[in-house]
Amino acid sequence: MQLVSIDRAFVFLLATLGLFSPLVLVASQAKRARILAIALIVGSNVVGCFVAALCFWRESVVLVDFSSFTPFPFALEIDRLSALFLLLICTVAVPVAIFAVSYFGDHYGKERRNWMWAFFSLFLVSMIVVVTARTGFAFLVGWELMTLLSAGLILMEGDSTERRHNVFLYLLMMHAGAAAVVASFFLFLPYSHSLDFASIRTASGAVPAGTRTLVFLLAFLGFGTKAGIIPLHLWLPRAHPIAPSPVSALMSGVMLKTAVYGFVRFVFDFLGGGPWWSGYAVLSVAAVTGLLGILYAIAENDLKRLLAYSSVENIGIIFLGLGTSLIFLAHHAPVWAGLALVGALLHAFNHALFKSLLFLGAGAISNAAHTVDLEKLGGLQSRMPVTGATLLVACCSIAGLPLFNGFVSEWVIFRSLLAGSVLINTKAQVLLPLTVGVLALIGGLAAACFVKVFGVAFLGRPRSKAAEHAEEVPLAMRTGLGLLATSCVGIGIFPGLLLRPLVSLVQVLVPGAGVPPETVSIARVIPFAAAIILGVSITAALLKRRERMVRTWACGLPGLTSRMQYTSTAFSKPIRFVFSSVYRPDRKIDKLPTDQPYFPVSITYRSVRTTSYEKAIYRPFAEMILSAAHRLRRMQTGNIQVYLLYIFLTLVLLLAFLRFQK
Amino acid sequence: MKIAINVLQALALILGGPLVRGIVARVKAFLQRRQGASIWRPYSDLAKLFRKEDLVPPTASSIFRVVPFVLFGTTICVASFVPLVQPSALLASRGDFFLFVYLLAMGRFFLSLGGFDGGSSFGGMGASREALVSSLAEAPFLLSLVAVAILASHADIAGMVAWTMQQNIFNISAVHILAFTSLAMVVIAETGRMPVDNPTTHLELTMIHEGMVLEYSGPRLALIEWASAVKLHAMLALLVALFVPWGMASSVSVGAIGLALILYCAKAAPLMVLLAVIESGMAKLRMYLVPDFLGVASAVSALAVIFTILVKR
Repeated sequence: MQLVSIDRAFVFLLATLGLFSPLVLVASQAKRARILAIALIVGSNVVGCFVAALCFWRESVVLVDFSSFTPFPFALEIDRLSALFLLLICTVAVPVAIFAVSYFGDHYGKERRNWMWAFFSLFLVSMIVVVTARTGFAFLVGWELMTLLSAGLILMEGDSTERRHNVFLYLLMMHAGAAAVVASFFLFLPYSHSLDFASIRTASGAVPAGTRTLVFLLAFLGFGTKAGIIPLHLWLPRAHPIAPSPVSALMSGVMLKTAVYGFVRFVFDFLGGGPWWSGYAVLSVAAVTGLLGILYAIAENDLKRLLAYSSVENIGIIFLGLGTSLIFLAHHAPVWAGLALVGALLHAFNHALFKSLLFLGAGAISNAAHTVDLEKLGGLQSRMPVTGATLLVACCSIAGLPLFNGFVSEWVIFRSLLAGSVLINTKAQVLLPLTVGVLALIGGLAAACFVKVFGVAFLGRPRSKAAEHAEEVPLAMRTGLGLLATSCVGIGIFPGLLLRPLVSLVQVLVPGAGVPPETVSIARVIPFAAAIILGVSITAALLKRRERMVRTWACGLPGLTSRMQYTSTAFSKPIRFVFSSVYRPDRKIDKLPTDQPYFPVSITYRSVRTTSYEKAIYRPFAEMILSAAHRLRRMQTGNIQVYLLYIFLTLVLLLAFLRFQK
Repeated sequence: MKIAINVLQALALILGGPLVRGIVARVKAFLQRRQGASIWRPYSDLAKLFRKEDLVPPTASSIFRVVPFVLFGTTICVASFVPLVQPSALLASRGDFFLFVYLLAMGRFFLSLGGFDGGSSFGGMGASREALVSSLAEAPFLLSLVAVAILASHADIAGMVAWTMQQNIFNISAVHILAFTSLAMVVIAETGRMPVDNPTTHLELTMIHEGMVLEYSGPRLALIEWASAVKLHAMLALLVALFVPWGMASSVSVGAIGLALILYCAKAAPLMVLLAVIESGMAKLRMYLVPDFLGVASAVSALAVIFTILVKR
């Protein structure tokens, strides 16, 4: 018996988030209106969670058609794939919104806060439209709004020149990516009578191989830009850290996943797999993305930039799963293709949870200590125990430790890579098991990176006055953090909850996928292992002990100071040294006065890491465009007769084209 | 019955851990022409530590206090993965080697955090070095296990061991030699033995593991020491189980189990002697030579995987 139909609940979600809440917020400055709007945002997302959960677990399909109001067909549909991503958006949105209640309240004045909330709500709607779109038009509208609204949210935080520059780069790259997405949609048009997803799906069989390859490449490029695969990631570590923390959480946790959704929708749902080499291409790009992403992350000292780079790494892991799946598809092994796809989708979900938790944690830290520079933090665990505990959960999850959710998805990808040895093709047979080594290296480095994050920020002594006087954040923030941490542990210990519906989902996407027994076995063993670990740890903790506080021995010095601790830079030094070929920093030492190098008064040392892509790819590309534009300027004489001539010539050419076309 | 034996063999692994340390130390003493302590010495060390009080630095937070328990818990869980006298273990047939490796990583993760919390420079230093060694050791560790798993067509450790038992003892392939070599190198790095780390030093230039546990004392230190002894034992037992499992009891009878236990001791003894010989014969590697050491292990394990594919066809 259903009290309210799911369709209506979904329309309610869209209407509240998209229309009602923003209108209330913009129209009224009253406190009551704001509270109502925020309550509606949180409440509608909870409703959204239920809608998505019903569609995901029970496979109900929701279809909402707005085509009668819009110039182009605009319809939304929640099938199982959409349901997964809708669930992801709403599950993350609830804690983020609760956290933001107190974050926006602390950071912004009344008016700006209302605008912030209005954009926040619209940003959520745009992402929901993207993942539930049923027509190309709806998808592209959502896609474009998502970019613009997030850029708006970043600009609302401030408008320094540097920020504008970063936002410009963000918008530029997003639109280049969007152009590729649009193009890949339009390539279907000659074969499909509309851009309705259902008709694209049926028409895709008739698309010739060359066009299919083009569609795949454009989709990979377009969605890859949005996802931040290397070398298209340049915008990501610039745009994500400068947004307000709750927005960064949504951008890194959720918005990147819409790109994964788009890729899966295009390549798996529409095309049913790419050309034979597509899997290898995706796999190698993903391996590079994962490895370089985490290496850049380790070297960062700014927590939010570090987290942004680690998002690049995790996108690498997700695409590693997708690439593996494509390789299996190309070699006609649908069962394993399904397993790899389960791993990739699950990792997308898990990453959304722990990355938004980490970004919210960074927000909590900046709230309490007024900085996210790791070198100025330290000792926060005893000052903010709840924030610390939740962030520890996030760090364990992202490092892929068992009993936390990150492990489950990485494990599924590991198992699918291992299964590569059963293929007939020697290339794949050798390559896939060897990729285990790459993923292991990525995992090991990620663990190192997040030992650094938690160890430097939360343990030991505070490295600044601000960190010393930090206090636990307000209840709303703690609630948001706690909700996300609980879901990380929940999925980590009981992965079967998500794995079972995911398997049914990939059975739709990959015909003949079956149920790989692996997905069942992990769900069985993890609770066992958890019971052993918890049982033994708690028993050991209950043993009778005497405890005494003693100052740490300082090698005979009067006492230890916070400057004697290992810093974030020092921690990452061995890894930076070993992988020095990746970083290649520009180092500069200035000694003053210059004429007396042996008796310097002051020495300044600077080390700047400009990632090599910027030098090798982006700068030359930008310069090429600039010089081309410069040359084109000769056409712009400023003389009206010349412009009239241009118009006339264009007209003649067009007429000639029309005449000779037939 | 089978489960009872599984529990007993896990207990043997856990309780026998300090003994392995004692034996290795004794052999080392013999090789260095020293008198040496009794092989039971690690037990009395542990008993002594358990009786002492815990000294906690004032900067330390709850993490510092919790770490030893978590480390001990994960290590016990790891120990329940390794077959000793029969080709099965508590978790060996349900969990696979990925879980095994990542449980070890979990213990290490928490121990590194414990190092940070002391508030001195040594803890962070140990954690930083451990981060380098462990992040580079992960790949060869998994790859060498992948090679054996592909050969056995099983990802669970029990299945891998059972498959090897059915093979002819003289029919050892190149894969086994390569996988054993790289896994042995990883074991050295993973358990913090020479030439990667020196377990007996407290010199700031060289210590890795000792640096992290420097601020611990009393029962907490005892748990950490016990956990690292169990880890060493579990890794040696894993080497034995994967590469020389012959002699394990295939039926559940007192005689077979007893024989398997004696054979296990006979098989583990050469490994302990080998460890002692390496430790006495080699100087500790310079910190930045450790990546080369692990690089060799990675290359060997990658070769093992490639050979496995060739052998399998």
